[in-house]
Amino acid sequence: MPDQEKERLQERERVATPTDHSEIVPGRLPAISEDESKHFYGEPLVGFDPHEITGTLIVIEGMDGSGRSTQISLLQEWLESEGFAVQTSGLRRSTLVGRDIDELLAKNAVTRLTLALMYCTDFFDQLEHRIVPALKSGTIVLADRYIFTLIARSVVRGINRDYLSGLYAMALRPHLTFWLNVRPETAFGREFRKAQAISYWEAGRDMSLSHDLYWSFIRYQTMIKREFEAFAKRHDFLELDGEAPVSTVNKLLRQRIAEQLGIRSTKYTPSSALAHLWR
Amino acid sequence: MPNRAYPGALIVVEGTDGSGKSTQLYLLKRWLEIGGYRLHFTEWNSSPLVKSATRRGKQRRLLTPPTFSLLHAADFADRCERQIMPLLQGDYLVLADRYIYTAFARDGARGCPEKWLRNLYRFAPVPDITFYFRAPLDVAVHRILSGRPKLKYYEAGMDLGLSYDRPESFRLFQARIMDGYDKMVESDNFVVLDGTLPVNKLQKQMREIAASKIDLKRFAPRAAEAE
Repeated sequence: MPDQEKERLQERERVATPTDHSEIVPGRLPAISEDESKHFYGEPLVGFDPHEITGTLIVIEGMDGSGRSTQISLLQEWLESEGFAVQTSGLRRSTLVGRDIDELLAKNAVTRLTLALMYCTDFFDQLEHRIVPALKSGTIVLADRYIFTLIARSVVRGINRDYLSGLYAMALRPHLTFWLNVRPETAFGREFRKAQAISYWEAGRDMSLSHDLYWSFIRYQTMIKREFEAFAKRHDFLELDGEAPVSTVNKLLRQRIAEQLGIRSTKYTPSSALAHLWR
Repeated sequence: MPNRAYPGALIVVEGTDGSGKSTQLYLLKRWLEIGGYRLHFTEWNSSPLVKSATRRGKQRRLLTPPTFSLLHAADFADRCERQIMPLLQGDYLVLADRYIYTAFARDGARGCPEKWLRNLYRFAPVPDITFYFRAPLDVAVHRILSGRPKLKYYEAGMDLGLSYDRPESFRLFQARIMDGYDKMVESDNFVVLDGTLPVNKLQKQMREIAASKIDLKRFAPRAAEAE
Protein backbone atom coordinates (compact mmCIF):
# COMPACT_ATOMS: atom_id res chain seq x y z
CA MET A 1 0.00 0.00 0.00
CA PRO A 2 2.68 2.59 0.90
CA ASP A 3 4.52 1.53 -2.25
CA GLN A 4 1.47 2.17 -4.36
CA GLU A 5 1.07 5.56 -2.77
CA LYS A 6 4.70 6.38 -3.50
CA GLU A 7 4.29 5.28 -7.09
CA ARG A 8 1.26 7.47 -7.42
CA LEU A 9 3.12 10.49 -6.11
CA GLN A 10 6.06 9.85 -8.41
CA GLU A 11 3.74 9.59 -11.34
CA ARG A 12 2.15 12.87 -10.33
CA GLU A 13 5.56 14.55 -10.27
CA ARG A 14 6.42 13.23 -13.68
CA VAL A 15 3.31 14.37 -15.47
CA ALA A 16 2.93 17.71 -13.74
CA THR A 17 2.93 20.51 -16.29
CA PRO A 18 4.37 23.93 -15.59
CA THR A 19 1.12 25.60 -16.51
CA ASP A 20 -0.95 24.08 -13.76
CA HIS A 21 -0.03 24.40 -10.13
CA SER A 22 -3.18 22.87 -8.74
CA GLU A 23 -3.09 19.97 -6.33
CA ILE A 24 -5.17 17.85 -8.64
CA VAL A 25 -3.82 14.50 -9.72
CA PRO A 26 -3.48 14.48 -13.51
CA GLY A 27 -5.96 12.39 -15.36
CA ARG A 28 -8.34 12.11 -12.46
CA LEU A 29 -11.98 12.92 -12.89
CA PRO A 30 -14.26 13.35 -9.91
CA ALA A 31 -15.54 9.97 -8.83
CA ILE A 32 -18.82 9.35 -7.09
CA SER A 33 -19.29 6.05 -5.34
CA GLU A 34 -22.96 5.63 -6.16
CA ASP A 35 -24.52 3.75 -9.02
CA GLU A 36 -23.96 6.70 -11.39
CA SER A 37 -20.22 6.23 -11.34
CA LYS A 38 -20.65 3.25 -13.61
CA HIS A 39 -22.10 5.48 -16.26
CA PHE A 40 -20.80 8.97 -15.52
CA TYR A 41 -17.69 10.62 -14.14
CA GLY A 42 -19.69 12.66 -11.65
CA GLU A 43 -23.27 13.88 -11.62
CA PRO A 44 -25.63 12.08 -13.98
CA LEU A 45 -26.90 13.86 -17.05
CA VAL A 46 -30.14 15.73 -16.34
CA GLY A 47 -33.14 13.45 -16.91
CA PHE A 48 -31.11 10.40 -17.91
CA ASP A 49 -31.89 6.79 -17.09
CA PRO A 50 -28.80 4.58 -17.53
CA HIS A 51 -30.93 1.44 -17.78
CA GLU A 52 -32.19 2.55 -21.18
CA ILE A 53 -28.73 2.14 -22.70
CA THR A 54 -28.56 -0.92 -24.94
CA GLY A 55 -25.88 0.23 -27.38
CA THR A 56 -22.12 0.46 -27.02
CA LEU A 57 -20.00 3.59 -26.86
CA ILE A 58 -16.53 3.10 -28.32
CA VAL A 59 -14.06 5.97 -28.21
CA ILE A 60 -10.94 6.27 -30.36
CA GLU A 61 -8.50 8.84 -29.02
CA GLY A 62 -5.12 9.91 -30.32
CA MET A 63 -3.34 12.98 -31.63
CA ASP A 64 -3.66 14.44 -35.12
CA GLY A 65 -2.09 11.96 -37.51
CA SER A 66 -2.56 8.92 -35.28
CA GLY A 67 -4.89 7.22 -37.74
CA ARG A 68 -8.17 7.64 -35.87
CA SER A 69 -10.39 8.55 -38.81
CA THR A 70 -8.97 5.77 -40.98
CA GLN A 71 -9.68 3.18 -38.30
CA ILE A 72 -13.17 4.52 -37.68
CA SER A 73 -14.09 4.25 -41.38
CA LEU A 74 -12.86 0.66 -41.44
CA LEU A 75 -14.56 -0.28 -38.17
CA GLN A 76 -17.85 1.16 -39.34
CA GLU A 77 -17.74 -0.95 -42.50
CA TRP A 78 -16.81 -4.08 -40.56
CA LEU A 79 -19.52 -3.59 -37.94
CA GLU A 80 -22.17 -2.86 -40.55
CA SER A 81 -21.18 -5.99 -42.45
CA GLU A 82 -21.66 -7.88 -39.17
CA GLY A 83 -25.17 -6.41 -38.97
CA PHE A 84 -24.70 -3.70 -36.35
CA ALA A 85 -26.12 -0.20 -36.64
CA VAL A 86 -23.30 2.31 -36.33
CA GLN A 87 -23.20 6.03 -35.73
CA THR A 88 -20.15 8.25 -35.49
CA SER A 89 -19.48 11.42 -33.53
CA GLY A 90 -16.57 13.80 -33.40
CA LEU A 91 -15.51 17.28 -32.42
CA ARG A 92 -17.34 20.31 -33.85
CA ARG A 93 -20.12 18.25 -35.40
CA SER A 94 -23.03 19.56 -33.32
CA THR A 95 -25.96 21.33 -34.93
CA LEU A 96 -25.93 23.84 -32.12
CA VAL A 97 -22.41 25.29 -32.25
CA GLY A 98 -20.28 23.22 -34.65
CA ARG A 99 -20.18 25.94 -37.29
CA ASP A 100 -19.71 28.69 -34.73
CA ILE A 101 -16.54 27.02 -33.43
CA ASP A 102 -15.21 26.69 -36.99
CA GLU A 103 -15.71 30.42 -37.41
CA LEU A 104 -14.08 31.27 -34.10
CA LEU A 105 -11.06 29.15 -34.98
CA ALA A 106 -10.78 30.70 -38.43
CA LYS A 107 -10.86 34.21 -37.03
CA ASN A 108 -8.66 33.27 -34.09
CA ALA A 109 -10.61 35.83 -32.10
CA VAL A 110 -11.47 33.89 -29.02
CA THR A 111 -9.98 33.47 -25.56
CA ARG A 112 -8.98 30.02 -24.32
CA LEU A 113 -11.74 29.74 -21.71
CA THR A 114 -14.51 30.74 -24.09
CA LEU A 115 -13.20 28.26 -26.64
CA ALA A 116 -13.12 25.51 -24.00
CA LEU A 117 -16.75 26.23 -23.11
CA MET A 118 -17.83 26.30 -26.75
CA TYR A 119 -16.24 22.88 -27.25
CA CYS A 120 -17.99 21.69 -24.11
CA THR A 121 -21.33 22.94 -25.49
CA ASP A 122 -20.59 21.13 -28.75
CA PHE A 123 -19.83 17.95 -26.81
CA PHE A 124 -23.01 17.96 -24.72
CA ASP A 125 -25.21 18.87 -27.69
CA GLN A 126 -23.94 15.78 -29.49
CA LEU A 127 -24.11 13.66 -26.35
CA GLU A 128 -27.76 14.51 -25.73
CA HIS A 129 -29.04 14.69 -29.29
CA ARG A 130 -26.99 12.02 -31.04
CA ILE A 131 -24.99 9.75 -28.77
CA VAL A 132 -27.54 9.02 -26.03
CA PRO A 133 -30.51 8.50 -28.42
CA ALA A 134 -28.34 6.17 -30.54
CA LEU A 135 -27.25 4.19 -27.50
CA LYS A 136 -30.86 3.89 -26.37
CA SER A 137 -31.74 2.30 -29.70
CA GLY A 138 -28.96 -0.27 -29.43
CA THR A 139 -26.63 1.43 -31.89
CA ILE A 140 -22.85 1.27 -31.68
CA VAL A 141 -21.41 4.76 -31.42
CA LEU A 142 -17.85 5.24 -32.69
CA ALA A 143 -16.54 8.48 -31.23
CA ASP A 144 -13.64 10.11 -33.05
CA ARG A 145 -12.11 11.74 -29.90
CA TYR A 146 -13.93 12.39 -26.65
CA ILE A 147 -13.57 14.44 -23.48
CA PHE A 148 -9.92 13.44 -23.07
CA THR A 149 -8.71 15.45 -26.07
CA LEU A 150 -10.85 18.39 -24.96
CA ILE A 151 -9.50 18.33 -21.41
CA ALA A 152 -5.88 17.82 -22.52
CA ARG A 153 -5.99 20.74 -24.97
CA SER A 154 -7.25 23.12 -22.30
CA VAL A 155 -4.93 21.85 -19.57
CA VAL A 156 -1.84 22.53 -21.67
CA ARG A 157 -3.18 26.06 -22.16
CA GLY A 158 -3.22 26.58 -18.42
CA ILE A 159 -6.85 25.99 -17.53
CA ASN A 160 -7.27 24.24 -14.20
CA ARG A 161 -7.60 20.45 -14.49
CA ASP A 162 -10.12 20.19 -11.71
CA TYR A 163 -12.29 22.82 -13.37
CA LEU A 164 -12.26 20.91 -16.66
CA SER A 165 -13.02 17.59 -15.01
CA GLY A 166 -15.99 19.25 -13.34
CA LEU A 167 -17.30 20.50 -16.70
CA TYR A 168 -17.32 16.98 -18.10
CA ALA A 169 -18.62 15.30 -14.95
CA MET A 170 -21.93 14.66 -16.73
CA ALA A 171 -20.25 12.92 -19.66
CA LEU A 172 -21.13 9.29 -20.26
CA ARG A 173 -18.34 6.79 -19.57
CA PRO A 174 -17.40 4.90 -22.75
CA HIS A 175 -17.57 1.10 -22.80
CA LEU A 176 -14.17 1.02 -24.52
CA THR A 177 -11.57 3.73 -24.97
CA PHE A 178 -8.77 3.06 -27.43
CA TRP A 179 -5.69 5.24 -27.58
CA LEU A 180 -3.72 5.21 -30.83
CA ASN A 181 -0.33 6.25 -29.56
CA VAL A 182 2.18 7.70 -32.04
CA ARG A 183 5.32 9.78 -31.71
CA PRO A 184 4.78 13.47 -32.57
CA GLU A 185 7.55 13.18 -35.17
CA THR A 186 5.60 10.46 -37.01
CA ALA A 187 2.35 12.41 -36.66
CA PHE A 188 4.01 15.48 -38.17
CA GLY A 189 4.98 13.59 -41.33
CA ARG A 190 1.52 12.07 -41.71
CA GLU A 191 -0.29 15.37 -41.17
CA PHE A 192 2.01 17.20 -43.53
CA ARG A 193 1.45 14.64 -46.30
CA LYS A 194 -2.32 14.99 -45.89
CA ALA A 195 -2.53 18.71 -46.63
CA GLN A 196 1.02 19.72 -47.57
CA ALA A 197 0.80 22.01 -44.58
CA ILE A 198 0.35 22.06 -40.80
CA SER A 199 -2.54 24.10 -39.44
CA TYR A 200 -2.22 26.86 -36.86
CA TRP A 201 -4.13 24.95 -34.18
CA GLU A 202 -2.54 21.54 -34.79
CA ALA A 203 0.82 23.13 -34.17
CA GLY A 204 -0.44 24.92 -31.05
CA ARG A 205 0.80 28.18 -32.49
CA ASP A 206 -1.46 30.19 -30.16
CA MET A 207 0.80 29.04 -27.33
CA SER A 208 3.95 30.75 -28.59
CA LEU A 209 6.05 27.63 -27.99
CA SER A 210 8.40 28.24 -30.91
CA HIS A 211 8.64 30.47 -33.96
CA ASP A 212 9.58 27.34 -35.80
CA LEU A 213 6.53 25.50 -37.14
CA TYR A 214 8.06 22.04 -36.75
CA TRP A 215 9.19 22.58 -33.17
CA SER A 216 5.94 24.23 -32.23
CA PHE A 217 4.08 21.14 -33.46
CA ILE A 218 6.43 18.72 -31.67
CA ARG A 219 6.35 20.59 -28.37
CA TYR A 220 2.61 21.05 -28.42
CA GLN A 221 1.83 17.45 -29.32
CA THR A 222 4.33 16.21 -26.71
CA MET A 223 2.49 18.19 -24.05
CA ILE A 224 -0.82 16.68 -25.18
CA LYS A 225 0.73 13.20 -25.21
CA ARG A 226 1.88 13.61 -21.62
CA GLU A 227 -1.72 14.35 -20.61
CA PHE A 228 -2.85 11.23 -22.44
CA GLU A 229 -0.29 9.09 -20.64
CA ALA A 230 -1.82 10.21 -17.35
CA PHE A 231 -5.37 9.56 -18.59
CA ALA A 232 -4.42 6.14 -19.97
CA LYS A 233 -3.61 4.79 -16.52
CA ARG A 234 -6.61 6.21 -14.72
CA HIS A 235 -9.26 5.51 -17.32
CA ASP A 236 -8.32 2.07 -18.57
CA PHE A 237 -7.31 3.19 -22.02
CA LEU A 238 -6.55 0.35 -24.39
CA GLU A 239 -3.29 1.59 -25.82
CA LEU A 240 -2.35 0.56 -29.35
CA ASP A 241 0.78 1.30 -31.33
CA GLY A 242 -0.49 3.82 -33.85
CA GLU A 243 2.70 3.41 -35.88
CA ALA A 244 1.94 -0.22 -36.71
CA PRO A 245 0.41 -0.98 -40.15
CA VAL A 246 -3.26 0.00 -40.54
CA SER A 247 -4.31 -3.64 -40.95
CA THR A 248 -2.51 -4.69 -37.75
CA VAL A 249 -4.09 -1.89 -35.67
CA ASN A 250 -7.46 -2.67 -37.19
CA LYS A 251 -7.19 -6.36 -36.32
CA LEU A 252 -6.44 -5.55 -32.67
CA LEU A 253 -9.38 -3.14 -32.55
CA ARG A 254 -11.72 -5.73 -34.07
CA GLN A 255 -10.64 -8.41 -31.61
CA ARG A 256 -11.29 -6.26 -28.58
CA ILE A 257 -14.57 -4.90 -29.93
CA ALA A 258 -15.79 -8.39 -30.87
CA GLU A 259 -15.10 -9.49 -27.32
CA GLN A 260 -17.10 -6.53 -25.97
CA LEU A 261 -20.03 -7.26 -28.28
CA GLY A 262 -19.90 -10.99 -27.73
CA ILE A 263 -19.40 -11.91 -31.37
CA ARG A 264 -16.91 -14.47 -32.62
CA SER A 265 -16.17 -13.36 -36.15
CA THR A 266 -13.40 -10.83 -36.59
CA LYS A 267 -12.69 -11.56 -40.27
CA TYR A 268 -12.66 -8.48 -42.44
CA THR A 269 -11.33 -7.28 -45.76
CA PRO A 270 -12.20 -3.73 -46.75
CA SER A 271 -14.47 -3.16 -49.73
CA SER A 272 -13.04 -1.56 -52.85
CA ALA A 273 -14.33 1.81 -51.59
CA LEU A 274 -12.01 1.63 -48.58
CA ALA A 275 -9.20 -0.52 -50.01
CA HIS A 276 -6.97 2.53 -50.36
CA LEU A 277 -6.87 2.84 -46.55
CA TRP A 278 -5.52 -0.68 -46.14
CA ARG A 279 -1.86 0.18 -46.59
CA MET B 1 -8.04 31.37 -13.35
CA PRO B 2 -8.76 31.91 -9.66
CA ASN B 3 -9.69 35.46 -8.66
CA ARG B 4 -6.64 37.63 -8.92
CA ALA B 5 -6.15 40.73 -6.91
CA TYR B 6 -7.43 43.79 -8.76
CA PRO B 7 -8.05 47.38 -7.74
CA GLY B 8 -11.50 47.86 -9.35
CA ALA B 9 -14.90 47.11 -7.84
CA LEU B 10 -17.89 45.11 -9.05
CA ILE B 11 -21.54 45.89 -8.31
CA VAL B 12 -24.15 43.35 -9.37
CA VAL B 13 -27.96 43.41 -9.44
CA GLU B 14 -29.98 40.20 -9.37
CA GLY B 15 -33.64 39.28 -9.07
CA THR B 16 -36.46 37.68 -11.04
CA ASP B 17 -37.89 39.31 -14.15
CA GLY B 18 -40.06 42.24 -13.13
CA SER B 19 -38.31 42.83 -9.80
CA GLY B 20 -37.21 46.32 -10.86
CA LYS B 21 -33.49 45.57 -10.81
CA SER B 22 -32.62 46.93 -14.25
CA THR B 23 -34.34 50.26 -13.60
CA GLN B 24 -32.47 50.60 -10.33
CA LEU B 25 -29.08 49.76 -11.81
CA TYR B 26 -29.75 52.23 -14.61
CA LEU B 27 -30.43 54.97 -12.07
CA LEU B 28 -27.32 54.10 -10.09
CA LYS B 29 -25.33 54.23 -13.31
CA ARG B 30 -26.81 57.62 -14.25
CA TRP B 31 -25.93 58.99 -10.80
CA LEU B 32 -22.32 57.88 -11.17
CA GLU B 33 -22.06 58.88 -14.84
CA ILE B 34 -23.30 62.39 -14.13
CA GLY B 35 -20.66 62.61 -11.42
CA GLY B 36 -18.03 61.66 -14.01
CA TYR B 37 -17.06 58.36 -12.37
CA ARG B 38 -14.92 55.79 -14.16
CA LEU B 39 -17.35 52.97 -14.83
CA HIS B 40 -18.43 50.27 -17.21
CA PHE B 41 -21.88 48.75 -17.54
CA THR B 42 -22.36 45.14 -18.64
CA GLU B 43 -25.39 42.95 -19.20
CA TRP B 44 -26.02 39.20 -19.06
CA ASN B 45 -26.14 37.64 -22.52
CA SER B 46 -25.08 40.58 -24.61
CA SER B 47 -22.08 39.51 -26.66
CA PRO B 48 -22.36 38.68 -30.36
CA LEU B 49 -20.27 35.55 -29.82
CA VAL B 50 -23.11 33.13 -29.18
CA LYS B 51 -25.98 35.10 -30.68
CA SER B 52 -26.42 32.91 -33.74
CA ALA B 53 -26.09 29.71 -31.71
CA THR B 54 -28.61 30.91 -29.14
CA ARG B 55 -31.04 31.96 -31.85
CA ARG B 56 -30.64 28.62 -33.66
CA GLY B 57 -30.99 26.73 -30.38
CA LYS B 58 -34.15 28.57 -29.42
CA GLN B 59 -35.84 28.51 -32.83
CA ARG B 60 -35.25 24.81 -33.30
CA ARG B 61 -35.67 24.04 -29.61
CA LEU B 62 -32.34 22.26 -29.47
CA LEU B 63 -31.35 23.60 -26.08
CA THR B 64 -31.25 21.21 -23.14
CA PRO B 65 -30.47 22.20 -19.54
CA PRO B 66 -26.71 21.57 -19.89
CA THR B 67 -26.28 23.16 -23.33
CA PHE B 68 -28.46 26.13 -22.39
CA SER B 69 -26.23 26.62 -19.39
CA LEU B 70 -22.94 26.07 -21.24
CA LEU B 71 -23.81 28.48 -24.03
CA HIS B 72 -24.47 31.24 -21.53
CA ALA B 73 -21.28 30.35 -19.67
CA ALA B 74 -19.26 30.61 -22.90
CA ASP B 75 -20.82 33.99 -23.54
CA PHE B 76 -20.10 35.14 -20.00
CA ALA B 77 -16.51 33.82 -20.14
CA ASP B 78 -15.94 35.93 -23.25
CA ARG B 79 -17.28 39.04 -21.52
CA CYS B 80 -15.37 38.22 -18.38
CA GLU B 81 -12.02 37.72 -20.10
CA ARG B 82 -12.40 40.66 -22.50
CA GLN B 83 -14.22 43.26 -20.42
CA ILE B 84 -14.93 42.58 -16.78
CA MET B 85 -11.49 41.33 -15.68
CA PRO B 86 -9.42 43.83 -17.69
CA LEU B 87 -11.58 46.70 -16.41
CA LEU B 88 -11.34 45.55 -12.82
CA GLN B 89 -7.59 45.26 -13.27
CA GLY B 90 -7.58 48.73 -14.80
CA ASP B 91 -9.29 50.13 -11.69
CA TYR B 92 -12.80 50.61 -13.04
CA LEU B 93 -16.13 50.37 -11.29
CA VAL B 94 -18.05 47.65 -13.12
CA LEU B 95 -21.86 47.50 -12.93
CA ALA B 96 -23.44 44.23 -13.98
CA ASP B 97 -27.13 43.74 -14.76
CA ARG B 98 -27.42 40.06 -13.77
CA TYR B 99 -24.43 37.93 -13.02
CA ILE B 100 -23.59 34.30 -12.33
CA TYR B 101 -26.39 34.03 -9.75
CA THR B 102 -28.87 34.28 -12.62
CA ALA B 103 -27.35 31.09 -14.00
CA PHE B 104 -27.36 29.41 -10.60
CA ALA B 105 -31.05 30.23 -10.04
CA ARG B 106 -32.34 29.67 -13.58
CA ASP B 107 -30.25 26.66 -14.64
CA GLY B 108 -30.73 25.17 -11.20
CA ALA B 109 -34.50 25.50 -11.74
CA ARG B 110 -33.98 23.58 -15.00
CA GLY B 111 -32.37 20.72 -13.08
CA CYS B 112 -28.63 21.30 -13.55
CA PRO B 113 -26.76 20.04 -10.47
CA GLU B 114 -25.63 22.86 -8.20
CA LYS B 115 -22.12 21.47 -7.84
CA TRP B 116 -21.70 21.42 -11.61
CA LEU B 117 -22.99 24.99 -11.97
CA ARG B 118 -20.78 26.34 -9.19
CA ASN B 119 -17.74 24.78 -10.84
CA LEU B 120 -18.73 26.06 -14.29
CA TYR B 121 -18.57 29.68 -13.13
CA ARG B 122 -15.57 29.34 -10.83
CA PHE B 123 -13.56 31.77 -12.96
CA ALA B 124 -15.90 34.71 -12.24
CA PRO B 125 -14.68 37.47 -9.89
CA VAL B 126 -16.73 37.71 -6.69
CA PRO B 127 -18.81 40.92 -6.59
CA ASP B 128 -18.16 43.62 -3.98
CA ILE B 129 -21.92 44.09 -3.64
CA THR B 130 -24.77 41.93 -4.94
CA PHE B 131 -28.14 43.67 -4.71
CA TYR B 132 -31.00 41.20 -4.76
CA PHE B 133 -34.30 42.81 -5.66
CA ARG B 134 -37.08 40.83 -4.16
CA ALA B 135 -40.69 41.33 -5.22
CA PRO B 136 -43.60 39.00 -4.41
CA LEU B 137 -44.19 36.52 -7.20
CA ASP B 138 -47.59 37.99 -8.12
CA VAL B 139 -46.19 41.49 -8.45
CA ALA B 140 -43.23 40.38 -10.58
CA VAL B 141 -45.34 38.14 -12.83
CA HIS B 142 -47.97 40.85 -13.28
CA ARG B 143 -45.30 43.41 -14.28
CA ILE B 144 -44.00 41.10 -16.98
CA LEU B 145 -47.30 39.77 -18.30
CA SER B 146 -48.89 43.19 -18.56
CA GLY B 147 -45.99 44.58 -20.56
CA ARG B 148 -45.49 41.71 -22.98
CA PRO B 149 -47.85 40.48 -25.68
CA LYS B 150 -46.48 36.92 -25.75
CA LEU B 151 -44.00 34.98 -23.66
CA LYS B 152 -41.30 33.12 -25.54
CA TYR B 153 -40.86 29.35 -25.20
CA TYR B 154 -37.67 29.25 -23.11
CA GLU B 155 -38.49 32.49 -21.29
CA ALA B 156 -41.69 30.87 -20.02
CA GLY B 157 -39.74 27.75 -19.05
CA MET B 158 -41.87 25.65 -21.41
CA ASP B 159 -38.93 23.24 -21.82
CA LEU B 160 -39.46 22.13 -18.22
CA GLY B 161 -42.90 20.77 -19.01
CA LEU B 162 -44.49 22.38 -15.95
CA SER B 163 -47.66 23.44 -17.74
CA TYR B 164 -49.02 23.72 -21.29
CA ASP B 165 -50.26 27.21 -20.49
CA ARG B 166 -47.47 29.71 -21.05
CA PRO B 167 -48.38 32.29 -18.41
CA GLU B 168 -48.91 29.48 -15.90
CA SER B 169 -45.62 27.83 -16.87
CA PHE B 170 -43.87 31.21 -16.53
CA ARG B 171 -45.32 31.63 -13.07
CA LEU B 172 -44.18 28.20 -11.89
CA PHE B 173 -40.74 28.71 -13.44
CA GLN B 174 -40.32 32.11 -11.78
CA ALA B 175 -41.35 30.62 -8.42
CA ARG B 176 -38.57 28.04 -8.73
CA ILE B 177 -36.06 30.74 -9.69
CA MET B 178 -37.09 32.84 -6.72
CA ASP B 179 -36.51 29.86 -4.42
CA GLY B 180 -33.06 29.53 -5.93
CA TYR B 181 -32.27 33.19 -5.24
CA ASP B 182 -33.60 33.00 -1.68
CA LYS B 183 -31.28 30.08 -0.96
CA MET B 184 -28.25 32.16 -2.00
CA VAL B 185 -29.01 35.20 0.18
CA GLU B 186 -26.76 34.03 2.99
CA SER B 187 -24.19 31.91 1.19
CA ASP B 188 -23.47 34.63 -1.34
CA ASN B 189 -23.92 37.73 0.83
CA PHE B 190 -26.83 39.25 -1.07
CA VAL B 191 -28.06 42.70 -0.02
CA VAL B 192 -31.82 42.17 -0.13
CA LEU B 193 -33.94 45.12 -1.28
CA ASP B 194 -37.72 45.33 -1.36
CA GLY B 195 -38.70 45.61 -5.04
CA THR B 196 -42.18 46.93 -4.18
CA LEU B 197 -40.90 50.21 -2.69
CA PRO B 198 -41.26 53.43 -4.74
CA VAL B 199 -38.48 53.77 -7.30
CA ASN B 200 -36.86 56.86 -5.78
CA LYS B 201 -36.86 55.44 -2.25
CA LEU B 202 -35.27 52.24 -3.44
CA GLN B 203 -32.64 54.20 -5.36
CA LYS B 204 -31.80 56.23 -2.25
CA GLN B 205 -31.18 53.01 -0.33
CA MET B 206 -29.08 51.60 -3.14
CA ARG B 207 -26.87 54.69 -3.34
CA GLU B 208 -26.36 54.76 0.41
CA ILE B 209 -25.39 51.10 0.55
CA ALA B 210 -23.06 51.42 -2.45
CA ALA B 211 -21.32 54.43 -0.87
CA SER B 212 -20.96 52.68 2.46
CA LYS B 213 -19.49 49.47 1.05
CA ILE B 214 -17.28 50.83 -1.69
CA ASP B 215 -14.91 53.77 -1.60
CA LEU B 216 -16.60 55.42 -4.58
CA LYS B 217 -14.35 58.48 -4.46
CA ARG B 218 -11.56 56.33 -5.89
CA PHE B 219 -13.47 56.19 -9.17
CA ALA B 220 -14.27 59.91 -9.25
CA PRO B 221 -12.65 62.26 -11.78
CA ARG B 222 -9.16 63.58 -10.97
CA ALA B 223 -10.37 67.16 -10.40
CA ALA B 224 -12.63 66.00 -7.58
CA GLU B 225 -9.77 64.12 -5.96
CA ALA B 226 -7.65 67.30 -5.89
CA GLU B 227 -10.22 69.21 -3.86
